[in-house]
Amino acid sequence: MAGLATTFGSGAMTNSINEIEEAQVILVSGSNTTEAHPQVARRMFDAIDRGAKLIVIDPRRTRLAEFAHIHLGIKPGTDIPLMNVMMRVILDENLADDLFIEMRTENYHELRDMLYHLDLEETAAITGVGLDKISAAAQLYARAQKAVICYCLGVTQHICGTSNVQSIANLAMLAGHIEKEFTGVDPLRGQNNVQGACDMGALPGLFPSYQPVDTQEYREKFERAWGTNLSGTPGLTLMQMTHGGPQGAIRGMRGMIVMGENPMLSDPNITKVKATLENLDFLAVSDLFLTETAALADVVFPAASFAEKTGTFTNSERRVQMVRQAIPPLGSCRADSEIIMALSQAMGYPMEYESPAEIMEEIALLSPIYGGMFHDRFETCFGLQWPCWNRNHPGTTFLHKYFFTRGRGHFMPAEHTPPAELPDTEYPFILNTGRIYHHYHTGTMTRQCSTLNRESSEALLEVNPLDATSLGLRNGDWVELSSRRGAITVKIEVSEQVAPGSVYTTFHFPEAAINLLTSDARDPKAQCPEYKICAVRLERICS
Amino acid sequence: MNDRYTLKKDHLNGLLRRLMKEYRLVAPVKNTQGDTLFSVLDSIDHAIIDLASQPQSSIKPFLFPQQEVIFDYEHSVTAGYHFEHTPTAIPTAFFGVRSCDLSAVLYMDVIFSKKGRDPYYFEKRSEAIIISLACNEPFANCFCNATKSGPFLEYGFDLQFTDLNDRYLVETGRAKGTEIINRFRHFFDQATEQDSKAQYQAFLEARSHFKQQVHVDQAIKRLANGPLPEEVWHTLSLRCQDCGGCAYICPTCTCFTITDQATSASGGRRLRSWDACTFGGFTRMAGGHNPVNSRTHAVKQRFLHKLQYDVKEHGRPSCVGCGRCVGICFGGVDIIRFINVACGQL
Repeated sequence: MAGLATTFGSGAMTNSINEIEEAQVILVSGSNTTEAHPQVARRMFDAIDRGAKLIVIDPRRTRLAEFAHIHLGIKPGTDIPLMNVMMRVILDENLADDLFIEMRTENYHELRDMLYHLDLEETAAITGVGLDKISAAAQLYARAQKAVICYCLGVTQHICGTSNVQSIANLAMLAGHIEKEFTGVDPLRGQNNVQGACDMGALPGLFPSYQPVDTQEYREKFERAWGTNLSGTPGLTLMQMTHGGPQGAIRGMRGMIVMGENPMLSDPNITKVKATLENLDFLAVSDLFLTETAALADVVFPAASFAEKTGTFTNSERRVQMVRQAIPPLGSCRADSEIIMALSQAMGYPMEYESPAEIMEEIALLSPIYGGMFHDRFETCFGLQWPCWNRNHPGTTFLHKYFFTRGRGHFMPAEHTPPAELPDTEYPFILNTGRIYHHYHTGTMTRQCSTLNRESSEALLEVNPLDATSLGLRNGDWVELSSRRGAITVKIEVSEQVAPGSVYTTFHFPEAAINLLTSDARDPKAQCPEYKICAVRLERICS
Repeated sequence: MNDRYTLKKDHLNGLLRRLMKEYRLVAPVKNTQGDTLFSVLDSIDHAIIDLASQPQSSIKPFLFPQQEVIFDYEHSVTAGYHFEHTPTAIPTAFFGVRSCDLSAVLYMDVIFSKKGRDPYYFEKRSEAIIISLACNEPFANCFCNATKSGPFLEYGFDLQFTDLNDRYLVETGRAKGTEIINRFRHFFDQATEQDSKAQYQAFLEARSHFKQQVHVDQAIKRLANGPLPEEVWHTLSLRCQDCGGCAYICPTCTCFTITDQATSASGGRRLRSWDACTFGGFTRMAGGHNPVNSRTHAVKQRFLHKLQYDVKEHGRPSCVGCGRCVGICFGGVDIIRFINVACGQL
C-alpha cells in the first residue's frame, strides 16, 4: 500500500483482473497465484494459451513457476537487487521508455545514477540467479508492448517490503509499462475486502478515500459530518497494537476491539501477542466462530456471515460489489454495522443508520473515489470500480491514464536490505510461510467445512529432498521445528518446490501454529512483518 | 414411430399452468442477476422461462441432490437402533430439458440401477416427467453431436418439443408423455407431414451450427489403443486447481460420500452428499495412504472414466457434450482440451 502510494499515488491494482488475459508478458513476483488467487491464475493461463510469456520470481518452484517461460528462483529477500539488475539491463540495452519518463515521472536521475554505480555481476550474485537469465527476463519484459506485473505478499512481507514495491514500480515506470490498458502494476490483495478496508480508512493515518487525518481540511470535513472532534494524530498500526508486550500499552492502550481478525494465529511471534492481549484491561472480539483470539476475550460478539447481511465488498481490482442478505441471521448473531452501532450507542454516541444503503450514501458523500456509488446502482451491474466520482461516472477500469494520481510518478531508488534474521549454525534453515488452496487464513471458516478439511487437515512442512536425506527424514516424519521465539511439532513433506536450505509451511493450523516461530521484525514504513524469512532448526522426533 | 402433435406457442403458458396444478414444475428460469437455472416455478406469470440460453445447471440436483437425508436414526439401550426414511419425492414435471441433460438422466438411470435399484434416486426419478426441448441452435461450448446425445433425440423423453417458430412439434416417447397428451388433448393438434418436414429441416440446420469441432470418437479410439504418455497427464493436471467444479456441474458425475451427523445425544442423520474423484480426500484411506496419489492420477481418473471405462462398460462415453465444464473450469482442464490433446497423440 505505502509503496505504490508514494510512487504512483494510489495503493491498488492499476488494471482490472480481466486485462491480465490480454497482456503479452506477465511478470509474477512473490505470488503463489494458483493457490491464493485461482481466479487471477485462470486469466494467466488464458493469456499463456494466447501466446503470452510468463516470468515468475519466486524462491519456491510453485505450480505457476512450472508454466513460466523464465523462472527466477531468487534467494529469499533479494527482490531489490533483482529489480536493480533488471533495470540496469534495460538501460544498457536502450529499452527505457525515455518519453514516458520525461513526460510522466520525476526523480529519474537519482535512480539512473544509482543503477550506473551497480556492479552487475556482484548484484546478480546476491540474488543467486545467473545474470544471463535475469537479463533475458528484463529484455522480455521491457520489449513487450503490453506487460503487467502481479505481485503479492512474497514481495511485501519483508523488512524492506515498501522498498520492494517501490522497486517494482521503478521497473514499470522505466519500461513505460503503466497508464495503458493491459499494462500496469497489480498488487493482488489477499482478502475479499481488504481493499475496501483500506479505502474506508482502516489505516492509522487516513480517513476514508485516503484523506490524511493530519490535514486540517479533511479533518474538519469529517468533524462536521460526524458532529464530534477528531484527532489529527495518526493511530497505531496492527503490529504496534498487538506487539506492545506485557508492559506494552503503547500510548497507554488498555482496551481493544478486534473484528474478524485472529492475531493469535495470524500475527508473527504469537507469544508476544498473547502477552500483549492478556495484559489488556479489556478485550472484545467479534467473529463468526470462537477463534484463538476470541478465547482470550472478555466479551465475544457473534458476527453475521456474508449470507446473513447486506453491504458491499471491494475486491482487488477496486471493484465495489454488492452482497445481499440471503438468510436471516442465525442465533443471536448480528451484522458488523449493527454491532458497531449498538456499541456506539452504549458509549453515548448514537449512530442511527436505518440501512446499509444509508451508510453507503454517507460513504459517497465523504469519500470522493466512492462519490458515485449507491446501492441502487449496484442492482443492475456487477459492481463499479473506483474512482467513480459521481452518479453518472461509469467507474475506472485502469488507473493513471494521462497522469499519475499523485501527478508525476516518483522514482524511489532502493538498495539491498538483508533480511532481519538469516540462518546460522544454530538455526540453519530459512523458514518461509504462506497459504494453501483449501484454507483461508487462520481457518476460522474453512476449518469448519468438512470437505475442505478432508482435503487438507494438517500443516505440512515442505523440505527439499537433499536436506531430508542429510537429516535422515522421510515423507510423513514428525519434526520439532524451532526458532529463537518458539517451537512446534509438524509433519514433513519432501518436496522439490523448496530450494535446499529452505523450508516452507502454512499458517492455517492452530495445531502447528507457525507464527509462534516467525519474526516480528518489520518494515519501518508500512509496519508489515517479515513473515517470509526467519531462521529455524529441524529435529526429528523419534516415534 | 413416435406420435406427433403440434402446440401453438401462444398456448404454452396455458399448458404449463395446467401442468402446475398437478405437478411441481421445474423449468429454466432467468433470475434477477441474469443467470438461467433450472428452478421450481411458483407461478407462471412472475417467472421468466428462458428457453434461449443454456441453463447453467442441469436437472441432476433434482434427482440426485447435492445433499440428501438417507435416513434418521435413534439408538436406545433397550430397543437398539431404529431407522426411519422419509421419502421426499414430489411428482415433478421438468420442462425445457435439453437433449444432453436428458441423455445424462438416462445414464444416471443405468448407474443407479447397477447393483440393485438405488431407492433414493428412483423414488424421485419415478415421480418425474421429462419434457425435453430439441436444440435448434447449439450453444458456444456444445458438442453433443460428437457424443451422440443430441441435438435431437429419438427416445428417452416423455415428450420432446421442437421449436418451429410459431409452434412446437411435440413427440411422445414414453407412456407418461402419451398420458399427458391424452389428458390435455385439447391443447394439441395432430402434426402434419409439413410439420415433420420442418422438424427435419431444423435438425439438419442445428447439426451444421455447432461451433466446436470435437473428435470424441477419435479420442475414444486413441485411448482404447493404449495409454497416453504420462507427460500429457502431468501437463493437464498442472492446470487443475482442485475445485471440483467440473464434477459438480457435470450432469453425469454421480460420485458421492456418506456422512453421519448427530442430531441428539442418542440419534443422528445419515447424509449423502456430492463428492468429486479429483479431490484427494475422495480416495485417501484412514491411515493416510492414497491409491490415487497425485493430482495427475486424479485428473486421469476423471477423463478416463468418461471416455474409456464407461465406453468399455456401457458401450458409450459418459460425457454428453453439454460443454458446461468448459465454462466452469478455472484452469481450462476441460474435456474439450483433453479430447484435443488426446487426438494430437494419434
